[in-house]
Amino acid sequence: MSNAVQAIRRGAGFTSTRPRLAVPLSALGAVLLIAGSLLPWATFILNDAPYPEKATLQFFDAPFEVGGYRAHLLWFGVAALVVTFVTRIPGRGRVLRALGWGGLAVALITTFFIAQRGGGLGAVTAADGATALGGIVGIAGGLLLILGATAAGIGEIPQWRTDLPRPLAWLVLAVAFAGVLYLVSLTLTAGGTGGASNPHAGPVFVAFLGMAGGLLGALHGLGVTRWVSALSEGHRAFSIVVLVLCALALPLTKADSEYWMTVSVTIGVYAVTAIGLNIVVGLAGLLDLGYVAFMGIGAFVAANLSGATASKLGVTLPFPIVAVIAAVIAGVFGAVVGSPTLRVRGDYLAIVTLAFGEIFRKSAQNNIGGLTGGANAIPGIPQLEIGGTAFSDSITVGSVELPAGVLYYFLIVLVVAAVMAIFANLKSSRIGRAWIAIREDEDAARAMGIKTGKIKILAFLVGATLAGVAGAIFAHKFSQASYDQFTFIESVTLLAAVILGGMGTIPGAVLGASLLFVLPERLREFADYRLMIFGLALVFIMRFRPQGLVPDRVRRAEFAGETAEGKSIEELEEELVAEHELAEEAAVGATAKENPS
Amino acid sequence: MTAELVEPVGVGYPVLEARGVTMIFGGLTALNDVSLTLHHGQIFGLIGPNGAGKTTFFNCLTGLYTPTRGEVVLHGVPLTGDPAAVTIAGIARTFQNIRLFPNMTVLENVLVGRHCRMRQGPIASLLHGPVFRRVEREARERSRELLAFVGLSKMEGEVARNLPYGDQRRLEIARALATDPKVLLLDEPTAGMNPQETDATRHLIFQIRDTGVAAVVIEHDTKFIFGLCDQVAVLVQGELLVEGTPETVRDDPRVIEAYLGKPREEVEAEVRAAAAEHGREDG
Repeated sequence: MSNAVQAIRRGAGFTSTRPRLAVPLSALGAVLLIAGSLLPWATFILNDAPYPEKATLQFFDAPFEVGGYRAHLLWFGVAALVVTFVTRIPGRGRVLRALGWGGLAVALITTFFIAQRGGGLGAVTAADGATALGGIVGIAGGLLLILGATAAGIGEIPQWRTDLPRPLAWLVLAVAFAGVLYLVSLTLTAGGTGGASNPHAGPVFVAFLGMAGGLLGALHGLGVTRWVSALSEGHRAFSIVVLVLCALALPLTKADSEYWMTVSVTIGVYAVTAIGLNIVVGLAGLLDLGYVAFMGIGAFVAANLSGATASKLGVTLPFPIVAVIAAVIAGVFGAVVGSPTLRVRGDYLAIVTLAFGEIFRKSAQNNIGGLTGGANAIPGIPQLEIGGTAFSDSITVGSVELPAGVLYYFLIVLVVAAVMAIFANLKSSRIGRAWIAIREDEDAARAMGIKTGKIKILAFLVGATLAGVAGAIFAHKFSQASYDQFTFIESVTLLAAVILGGMGTIPGAVLGASLLFVLPERLREFADYRLMIFGLALVFIMRFRPQGLVPDRVRRAEFAGETAEGKSIEELEEELVAEHELAEEAAVGATAKENPS
Repeated sequence: MTAELVEPVGVGYPVLEARGVTMIFGGLTALNDVSLTLHHGQIFGLIGPNGAGKTTFFNCLTGLYTPTRGEVVLHGVPLTGDPAAVTIAGIARTFQNIRLFPNMTVLENVLVGRHCRMRQGPIASLLHGPVFRRVEREARERSRELLAFVGLSKMEGEVARNLPYGDQRRLEIARALATDPKVLLLDEPTAGMNPQETDATRHLIFQIRDTGVAAVVIEHDTKFIFGLCDQVAVLVQGELLVEGTPETVRDDPRVIEAYLGKPREEVEAEVRAAAAEHGREDG
């Protein structure tokens, strides 16, 4: 079998058979990245704002002022140069490849944007005697780096020691999580608040995402991400505390205005909903296309019970009670919607849930029972309050002034943490295993004595409950509940968040929700293109990383004893393919033997 | 054949009884008035040509089908037609074409088998209290015992779909045993195995019998059945043709006729059909 794997690996690519080209290609790529970062990128100054600057050799004028995407390219180039010549660096090929992809992404996105704004390739090459080859050189550098990395051979991800003494492990984890907080803060605010005064926020943000992806890829290639995640599994309680603290510290970083708080709370609300959906889709494997309706139910319950003037009920209950009622009512609807799962499977269930989502939206639009406000929605839902301070106010702790809306942010961090705990506990219990078993093979699960009907309805119920809580917070934060906030496209986006992030994992759902609900906001500059970019990104991720950004089982299996040599997913797949081929050969041989005629 | 391993166990009390099981699909009578009794400590073999109704009978035992007439009785209690209830009552099964939970680990697969013997509800699962943790730990211990029993201890963290074929079959048996069954139904447990693996499976089934679990085995491989079972029944065209010890069944002229006593062309056609079916299952 290993021969077959070897053969597949040998034939994997053109460059992998030419290891002698590795160092020259990588070195050239790295140099080109550096050169690209220092060359001018555009032959003109954009009308609406000086981005990207008509970059002359600014580096030599003001050595420390090469900023933004050009600084990222510079770092990547220098790092790649170092990695190319220091052969002792573990996981070298992977690091180089990630740096190459990161550099390529940054250069490509920026060049594309300049060309689009400047009206064609002239904008990035020559006009009126000015030349601007930075973009082209950067792209070439990224490509060469990828080729060079492949030529060197993509080795295995190095395994680092995880049996560190406790203080050292804690220190590593604290530093790592602080780094994560810093990166999250930078990513969130990259490009700044969009709008008329800052028309290039979108491309700056996307280029930053490319850089962040390359950086994380390089760290992954070094084995750092895996090491940290193994360490955090060994020190679970400490990791959770530090992570929550880091999350709470976000308003102290660059993301210190009301706008970023609102963006973060939106992410949090959808993250809670996505984790709920992850129970239904990721664990139990039941496709739900109308899931956002449960969030809507939670929002309308909160709208009606919190003393909004448009509410017909005219009662005002404290928020904790409202949240519980919202959760319970959403849960009841969840169980009702889930009950067809007893009879209906797969595609047909998807249609049932789709229909439910539409029924909900249409009913809300038609103001059914006078509870949803119809086309007028229910506006004026009062802000939450604690001790006389509205959640939408800014607060001052000691000498630190925290931005407006920070209390909503704290609330949602705690709720996300609680929901994560609920998800993790359920997943590692008898019920969670039953959900996964149903996803894997429902008939076999039933044959193992699992009452699949009850368990499936429970998945719908729990998922809907979490969405109900999220909806209640959502209604207060945006002080209105309207039918058009809970449409089919929201359901689909949530589903995409779960699948994109990685089915059945918490970080996956959170990451997916963050990406999918921040990207459209941050891509406003691309206007008509944004849904296309969004769709293309989904297609590419599903093609090249079908297990999602943060996969579940395979990664954990890699840590387990038998595959401790740390096989990558591709390698495991290769082996499976090889085994499959051998099995087929054997089967053909057996049939031939049995049937000699 | 390793004859010394076949120690006929004295017939115990009846565990599983099929009473006049008849199964009619539309106009087709797949099973006609089949009555069989499985006793404690017995290994019961079920053989028959293709299309004889073996799998249909199996599905009646496991609750996948509800018999048109007749009933299946476990320890004197009639079974209802629901696979989960049947498993909870004490009948566990394996599948002809392996049906593990491919993306769960080996240990988790066995833990799923423990599901119906655990009692934690949603609230306990949410809170992970001390009782929950104790029950969970016990379930893990029991599952590890079973993995040791079938010889898969070293594989417990591996994802099930990465196991070699023979190990997958053994894992299926461990998972079925995790439900604490009184009766274990094995649907072609040696399909696709080489002689060494077949032999290991035979030993394993004997060991299972020795722990007090009665077994029913469906097999094409008559040699395997005769070397394994205490009692053998032959189904032909939905009817029980013969039942008895391996010796009596083997020498019974009706069985020989059912398997061999046909014109050559027909037998050849059947062999081809069997081979084709075999190929399909492997694929």
